[in-house]
Amino acid sequence: MTTEIIRLPGQDLSSEEMILNLGPQHPSTHGVLRVVLRMDGEVITGSEPDIGYLHRGTEKLSENRTYPQMLVISDRWDYLSAMSNNLVWCLAVEKLMQLEVPQRGQTLRIIMVELNRIASHLVFFGTYGIDIGAYTPFLYAFREREKILDLFEEVSGARLTYNYIRIGGVMADLPQDWVGKCRSFLEWIKPRFVEYDILLTENPIFKDRTVGVGILTKEKALSYGVTGPNLRGSGVSFDMRKDEPYSGYDKFQFEVPVGKNGDCWDRYWVRIQEMKESVKIIEQALDHLPEGECNAKVPRLIRPPKGEAYAHLEAPRGMLGIYLISDGTEKPYRVHVRPPSFINLAILQEILVGMKVADVIAILGSIDIVLGEVDR
Amino acid sequence: MILPVFTQSQKRSVGVLVAMGAIGSTIALLIGELNQRIFQVWGFVSEFASKISIPSFMLSFVSMVLQCSVLIGFISVSVMFMVWWERKISAHMQSRLGPMYTGGWHGWAQTIADAIKLLLKEDIIPAAANPWVHRLAPVLAFVPCFLCYAALPFGEGLISADLDIGILYIFALSGLSVLGIVMAGWGSGNKYSLLGGLRAAAQSVSYEIPRVLSVVPIIMFVGSLKLTQIAQAQTGFWHVGGIPVLPRWFIFYPVIGQLAFIIFLIASVAETNRTPFDIAEAESELVAGFHTEYSGMKFSFFFLAEYAYVFLSSGMTTTLFLGGGSGPLFPSWVWFLLKSFAVVFLFLWFRWTFPRLRVDRLMEFTWKFLIPWSFFNILAAGFMGLM
Amino acid sequence: MILYFSNIYNVAKALLQGMGVTFSWLFKPAMTVQYPDEKLKTPERFRGALTFDKESCTACLLCIKACPTACISLEPAVDPTTKKRLAKVSWYQIDFGKCNYCRLCEEACPTKPIKSVRHTHEYEWGMKQRSDMFVKWIREETLK
Repeated sequence: MTTEIIRLPGQDLSSEEMILNLGPQHPSTHGVLRVVLRMDGEVITGSEPDIGYLHRGTEKLSENRTYPQMLVISDRWDYLSAMSNNLVWCLAVEKLMQLEVPQRGQTLRIIMVELNRIASHLVFFGTYGIDIGAYTPFLYAFREREKILDLFEEVSGARLTYNYIRIGGVMADLPQDWVGKCRSFLEWIKPRFVEYDILLTENPIFKDRTVGVGILTKEKALSYGVTGPNLRGSGVSFDMRKDEPYSGYDKFQFEVPVGKNGDCWDRYWVRIQEMKESVKIIEQALDHLPEGECNAKVPRLIRPPKGEAYAHLEAPRGMLGIYLISDGTEKPYRVHVRPPSFINLAILQEILVGMKVADVIAILGSIDIVLGEVDR
Repeated sequence: MILPVFTQSQKRSVGVLVAMGAIGSTIALLIGELNQRIFQVWGFVSEFASKISIPSFMLSFVSMVLQCSVLIGFISVSVMFMVWWERKISAHMQSRLGPMYTGGWHGWAQTIADAIKLLLKEDIIPAAANPWVHRLAPVLAFVPCFLCYAALPFGEGLISADLDIGILYIFALSGLSVLGIVMAGWGSGNKYSLLGGLRAAAQSVSYEIPRVLSVVPIIMFVGSLKLTQIAQAQTGFWHVGGIPVLPRWFIFYPVIGQLAFIIFLIASVAETNRTPFDIAEAESELVAGFHTEYSGMKFSFFFLAEYAYVFLSSGMTTTLFLGGGSGPLFPSWVWFLLKSFAVVFLFLWFRWTFPRLRVDRLMEFTWKFLIPWSFFNILAAGFMGLM
Repeated sequence: MILYFSNIYNVAKALLQGMGVTFSWLFKPAMTVQYPDEKLKTPERFRGALTFDKESCTACLLCIKACPTACISLEPAVDPTTKKRLAKVSWYQIDFGKCNYCRLCEEACPTKPIKSVRHTHEYEWGMKQRSDMFVKWIREETLK
C-alpha cells in the first residue's frame, strides 16, 4: 500500500487529504478490488472503488457461443453460487422459447439453488469472521461447505462450476442415495447454526464492531438499486422468491428475514437467518419431491425465436438478471448481465463517508461482493 | 447425533501422550526438588574448584554464565514448544490436524524447521528506513523479556535473582519493550507502519496500568514484593472441619482474588499483543503492523519476544495467583510448569475464539473499565485487611 | 446501576459460551484428509481428465460443435484406396489448456454403449511445458 499526501488548495489551507490505496492485493478485499480512500486524519471523506481486474469479456464472448455453451460461462460469473447463474440463464432462454420445465426438474433446481445459497452464505460468514479477527468460524464454515460441495460433486461432477442446471431441466437425475446424504447433511448443519450464533452473532466483541457501523438507510438503498440481503438488512422486505416466484417457489413455505437498522450486523444477521430458511426449503422440497421426468423435450440445436427476454432471480448476493436478445440463430445476439454485486458496490462510496479507517474492512465485508460478478 | 469415530492413528497418538506423561512423571519424581539437586552438584563443583585453587569470583562468574545459558535454553525450547502447541491446539479446535509431517510424530520438529528457514532468509532493510533503528528494534523488544526471566521463580529455590523488589523489577522491564515497538514502527520508514507502531505503543502503555494495579491487593496481603515470598504465602490449604478444601491460592480469595486474576489476565493478553487485542500485528487490518518490514532473523526475534512474553505473563500469573509451585506429590518445578502451561492454554484459547477489538474501543475498555475496577479492588483489599 | 452489572454479566456469559464452543471442538476428531497418504474417493460422475477411444470414434464432429472453448480438433480417416471418408478418426487432439472440464463433449458423443470421449477420475495430473497440454491420439495407419 502506498500513501501520498496531497495538499488540496481551497478555503481551508491547512487541511490535507491523505490518500490510502486499499490495493488489489489485500487479504480483505474479497477478490481483486481496489478502493482508493481519501481520508482526513482517521475519518474517511471519500472513496472510489476501482474495478475491472477480473474482467473477462463474457458478454462479448456470448455472441460466439451457443446457448448450451453459455452455461459453462455463466458458471463463472458469481463463482460461489454457480447454480443460480445457471438457473438465471436457463430461465431467460426458456422464457424466449416458451418452454415449460416439468415439476421434478423445477424442484431439483430449487434444491440445488438453495444448497448453493447455504454454501455461499457460509463463505460470507467465514470470511467476515476473518475480517473482524475471529479465525475459527472460517474453518467451521468451510467444513460445512465441504459437505455441500461433496453433495454437488456427486450430482454434477464438479465442486465449483457445476454446469448442472440445463435448458429444459437439469443435467441428470439424482444418483442413488443422494437424498439420504442430503438429509444427513441437513441434520448435521442445524446444530451448527446454534454454534455460529454463540460464536459470532451474539459475541459482544463482534457486535461492538458491527452494530451501528455502515448504516444504509432504506431510501438510499432503494435509490441505488441495492438488492438482496443488503436491502433486506435496511428494512425493505423484497425477495424475488416471494414477490415474483419462479421455478415453483410459490409452493414452499419460508420466511424472509428483514433487518431493522441497516447496519453491518443487520446485513450479517439477515444472511445467517437466510441459511436457516434455506434449510427449511430444502427439507420441504425433499419431502415433496415429485416423480416423473425431470427434463422437458428440447431440440438438439437450440434456436429460440427472434425476440428479447429478461429473466431475474434471487441470487445469494441480490437480484441477478439476464437480458437476452435473440436473432433466431443458435447464438445469442446480445447478452447483458445485471450483476447484483456490481450494483451493490456502488453504495460503498456513500456509506464509507464519515466512518473511521478501522471500519472500512467491516463495511466492505458486509456488502459481500464477488469480483467475478462485478467484473464479469 | 453424529458420533466421532476415532481412527487407529488417533488412538495411537493418545497412547503416545499417555506414555509420555507416565515416563515424564516418573522422571520428575526421581529428580525430586531440582534446587536440592543443583545445590548438591554445585557443592561438588565448588569443592573441586577450591581443591585446584580457582578463585571464587571465577566460580560465581561461571555460575552466572551457566544460569544465563539455562535461561536462554529454557526460553528457546519453551517458545518452540509453545509455537508448536499453538498450531496444534488451534488446529484441533478447527477440526483439522496442524503440523503432522516434520519430524514424524505430529510434526514436533515443525518449529525447528521454521526457525532454520527464518535464519536462512535474506535480511532486508527498507531504503527509507534508518538502518540502526531498524536493526536495534528487535533487540530492544526481546532483551527486557529475557532479563525478566531472571526474577521468575520456577519452583522452590529455582530463581536466578531473588530480588527484594521482584515484581517491580519485572513490571519495569516489561515496560521497556514498548520502546522496541516504537522503534520498529519508526525504523520501517513507512508512515503507516509508524502509525501502527504508535497505536501498539499506546495500547501497551495503557494496559500496563491495570496490570500493575491489579497486583497491588496481592502485595498488600503478602506484605512484600519478593516473588518467592508471594509463592510461599500460597502454600497449604484452608481446612473445613479438618479436611483440606481449597488450596490457599490468591485466586480463591473472595471477589478480590477473582477480580484481580481476571484484570491481570486481560491486561496480560493485551500487553503481549494477542487477539483480541492484536490490532498491531493483524494482517486483515488496513494499517500495516509495526513488524511488516521485518524478515528473517529479525522477524523471528519479534516472534520469539511475543511468545517469551506470553510465557512470562503465564509464569507471573501462576506465581501471583495460582500458588506457583505448591502442590502435592510432584516436585515444585513440575507444578510450576503445569500451571504456567495451563495459563498459556488460556491465552491460546482466547486467541482462537474471539474477534478483534477496534482501537478506540480497546482504549476505552482499559481506561473506563479496567482501571476503575482495579482501584475498587485495592479499596476492597484495604477494607478486608482492616477486618 | 443494575443495567451496568447485568451488562457485564451478559457480556461475560456470551464470551464464556463462545469459549465453550471452541473447547467442545478441541476433542472431536479432525475432519481433514492427509492428502498424499490418504485420498478421498471421487464420486461416479466426477469430471476428471478426458480420455478418448480411437477405435470407436466415428468422427461425427459433434463434440467439436459442443465444446465451448474449441479445444478439440480431429482429422477423419480416409481410405487410401477409394479416397473416401471413413467413419473413423485419423487423429484426435484435445488442448487441455483450454478444456473446461464441463462434460459437454461427452454428452454430445453418440457412440454406444461407452462414449468415445469421456471423463475419467484422473485429477492428479501436471504438465511441465505448455506443449504437454496438447494430447493427441493417433490411429496406426494414414500417417503420411
